[in-house]
Amino acid sequence: MSVLEYLANGLVFSSIIVLASIGLSLVYSIADFANFAHGDTMTVGAYSALVTFGFVGGLGARFLGLPLGFFVALAVGVAVAALVAVITQRFLYDAMDVDSIGMLITSIGVAFVYRALIQFQFGSDFVEFGIQVLRPIEFLIPFGVRMTLHDVAIIVSAAILVAGLHTLLQYTDLGRKMRATADNPSLARVSGIRVDRITLWTWVIGAGLAGAGGVFLGLYNQISPRMGFNILLVVFAAVILGGIGSVYGAMLGGFLIGMINQLTPILTDVGIPIGIEYANAIAFVIMVAVLLVRPNGIAGGQGAGT
Amino acid sequence: MSESPGPDADADAASAGRFGDLTPTEQGVLVFVAGLLALLALGLVTGGLGPTYFMYLIGLVGMYVLLSFGLNAQWGYTGLINFSVAAFFGLGAYGTAILTADNSPIAGGISPVLGLFVGLLLAAVLAVIIGIPTLRLRADYLAIASLGLAEVVRLIVLNEREYTNGSAGLRGIPGFFEGWPVLSTFPQAMPGLRIEIVPGSPIVLQQPFYQALLNVGLVFVFVAITFLLLRRVHRSPWGRVLRTIRGDEDLAEALGKNTYAFKMQSFVLGSVIMALAGVFYAHLNLFVSPGDFEPINTFYVWIAVILGGSGSNRGAMFGGFVVIAIREGTRFLNGIEFIAFDIGPLRLLAVGVLIILVMRFRPEGVLPPQRELIWPSALDDADVPGPGETQRPHATDGGEQS
Amino acid sequence: MSDTESAGDPDPAADGAAPDADAESTGSVYEGANLDKEDVVLEVDGLVKTFGGLVATDDASFQVERGTVTGLIGPNGAGKSTLFNLISGFYEEDAGTVTVNGADVTDATPHRIAEHGLIRTFQTPRKLEGMTVREAMLVGPQSQTGESFLSLLTAGDTVREEERANLEDAQRILEEFEIGHLATQAATDLSGGQMKLVELARAMLAEPEVLLLDEPVAGVNPTLANKLRDQIARLNEQGVTFLIIEHDMEFIMNLADPIVVLDRGSVLVEGTPDAVRADDRVIDAYLGGGE
Repeated sequence: MSVLEYLANGLVFSSIIVLASIGLSLVYSIADFANFAHGDTMTVGAYSALVTFGFVGGLGARFLGLPLGFFVALAVGVAVAALVAVITQRFLYDAMDVDSIGMLITSIGVAFVYRALIQFQFGSDFVEFGIQVLRPIEFLIPFGVRMTLHDVAIIVSAAILVAGLHTLLQYTDLGRKMRATADNPSLARVSGIRVDRITLWTWVIGAGLAGAGGVFLGLYNQISPRMGFNILLVVFAAVILGGIGSVYGAMLGGFLIGMINQLTPILTDVGIPIGIEYANAIAFVIMVAVLLVRPNGIAGGQGAGT
Repeated sequence: MSESPGPDADADAASAGRFGDLTPTEQGVLVFVAGLLALLALGLVTGGLGPTYFMYLIGLVGMYVLLSFGLNAQWGYTGLINFSVAAFFGLGAYGTAILTADNSPIAGGISPVLGLFVGLLLAAVLAVIIGIPTLRLRADYLAIASLGLAEVVRLIVLNEREYTNGSAGLRGIPGFFEGWPVLSTFPQAMPGLRIEIVPGSPIVLQQPFYQALLNVGLVFVFVAITFLLLRRVHRSPWGRVLRTIRGDEDLAEALGKNTYAFKMQSFVLGSVIMALAGVFYAHLNLFVSPGDFEPINTFYVWIAVILGGSGSNRGAMFGGFVVIAIREGTRFLNGIEFIAFDIGPLRLLAVGVLIILVMRFRPEGVLPPQRELIWPSALDDADVPGPGETQRPHATDGGEQS
Repeated sequence: MSDTESAGDPDPAADGAAPDADAESTGSVYEGANLDKEDVVLEVDGLVKTFGGLVATDDASFQVERGTVTGLIGPNGAGKSTLFNLISGFYEEDAGTVTVNGADVTDATPHRIAEHGLIRTFQTPRKLEGMTVREAMLVGPQSQTGESFLSLLTAGDTVREEERANLEDAQRILEEFEIGHLATQAATDLSGGQMKLVELARAMLAEPEVLLLDEPVAGVNPTLANKLRDQIARLNEQGVTFLIIEHDMEFIMNLADPIVVLDRGSVLVEGTPDAVRADDRVIDAYLGGGE
């Protein structure tokens, strides 16, 4: 495979990681804890889309090689992931009387419950959307890049979602309040911002993006109950790389980690005996290395490390 | 509860104290443990549970107690969130297995005592490596990094076949006492016994049973040594600094404590204890595989510690029983045919729900620590009001709830 | 605080000079009391700290002379707490130096700075869950043998002796502060004011040369505040140097001399309470900062 193809794959995978990282980072800064259930929220999104697609799969014309039904399923996946997260937030996290570390531990429990329930319903095997696998785009083959329209669909959809989020954060009242709350919750509260509502919206957006990431991950690879938990660590690596709490840092971190992940085969190509089975491990090692030299991430400001 | 400063009060408060003196919670814990033991005993005498398997389960309880001690020394004492319990456990197991197993690609046939030291050393080295970048940072970084690290270790063990035998695992691991005088031949030397308590379902004790009995003895020794060590070091200025770090790390720094060094010590100590549990497991199960590194194993131990009461050793012991109850309970449920649940998700659900319930309703755990971390003999000597003279801080159940 | 003044001391609070004399003979830190006032225990020179473009500390310089109670005041947002964090090593400065007892501690970690004799308290101390008051007190003494893991296994007797002495010191100091009865209570049960007293008492166990107090009477009722002031004055007479941030003007003007006024990150005025009170720039700063 050519380097260009690795880069193309990297772009696709990055799109997924970016979606997941933004959500994780948003919740990290506003709800103030590392949400270990974020990966399984992705899984929830993927399975919800899978079920929906079973009903509406044949729907409508094709767009970027995908039936219109897929986009309906995507919307349902996003909605269900957001709904599940909001319910969890309302009835569990909101009622908790523990510090952020206690919340972190609780979120592990939540992750297990999500995954166990999915596993009861769907078993632990890999499943797929069952969309016909496309031939690579002919135009790109001479460049050594075999990329399907589905891959393009993932990139385009992710780009639209990220652009939408950017617009929301920069140009809307809600977005400004979200940034203010993330920056300093107590100041936001005394400034008359209804922090409860902002928090709720943060969960909706964060989990919704995670759900979208999960659906795309399912399209790109396969769907399984462990998919989210397995990718969670890569997403954390991206968030830490970008600097916890920084949405734009998360985008950058997600992009880099996704690229690095898919560029791993180059190591073997140039004779370093580290195979693709270590793609995720490399992400963690980079994360640890970043922590060592820049605890606040590549996009984060400096400050006390403690 | 009644407080006597006797050295074993912590250990036997749940057993030797009069039942009526205990708080309702302690009574509940006692009833639970007794009930579980009774259930196991019932299974034993009615033939539902083979005597060898019974002893195996007791060994596993000991193993989880050890693991809980290890995590307690990190999370309970210092507030370090270690999500790589399974990695340290697995390293201990693989450390000894690689030296002793028949099909080890590297060595094999070496004395398990050496394996023990290698397993513990590996864990200590790994703990330092992961501690250096993360222990200077906020607590949640360690959580994330350690979970990632556990995955890295699992991937290495799975993929580096020429060292670890990969997914096939290592088999043919000898018992821990192989090569020892007397103990190595103890199981063969013991006579076969047939005990019939309930007519028609005899308990047959043969060589495997004695092997398992030996293992229970081994884990008992490991648990006892660890318990004595932890008790000595925890009720001390050292343990006090750890508890201060847990409450307010900046405060400890401001008072001149090198918190990074203390956290590192606590992290390494706990990790070595987890590896000790791994060494025991390898010689109990006689087979290790990459599956032993699964994250669920980490969270079984978390359940044990947070449910038992972070920072409390007797809580950790209680937690060990709870884990076995989950594991065996789900196995039992799975055996009922009309409930067509897979055992995997059932356990996952049990672990998840328990974590949520504990954190939601009793974050301090069932048996929170009750001791002042002051060198016990100094407390006896010093000319200061004794614990009995004024109200103790945790004299009432849940006294340290915030 | 040394072993020589053992637990028998009947009422040390009524006899403020005694511990000082004792300490001197054992070479304790309080020998500082007899040095002349020109001796500088803490020197801050040209400190600068910015947070993402916002200048929190702007070329701040001042000295704390040994044996004084120096007040650090200034309007909200003047950068007092940032300055404390810079001095005690919790923040890294962008420029400038901090000297404690002649040693450059600019780049030192907080615990190193504490070892040099500078101890600080926090504005809002977190309550130590699961600890009794005396347990929390016993974290104060520096370089305890029992803080070394190995010593716990090999030097049990030394640990016991030290623990006994520290326990008795702790009890004595608590009694000097008239809160001896709280020793075995849970630290979480204390009122805010009691907690501040315990913090001060604990800091004394660390035998500081200079003690930084961050708003010692914020949220403390007037009776306890008076008690705190008396204790600070008493300890100062024994030779402890204080640097105190305080918003309560009456409290700080009655206690401290000199007063350092901080405004927008740098030192505006330095002088006696009367001089500061009379200075128009100070009034302007407070009025301007109050917006």
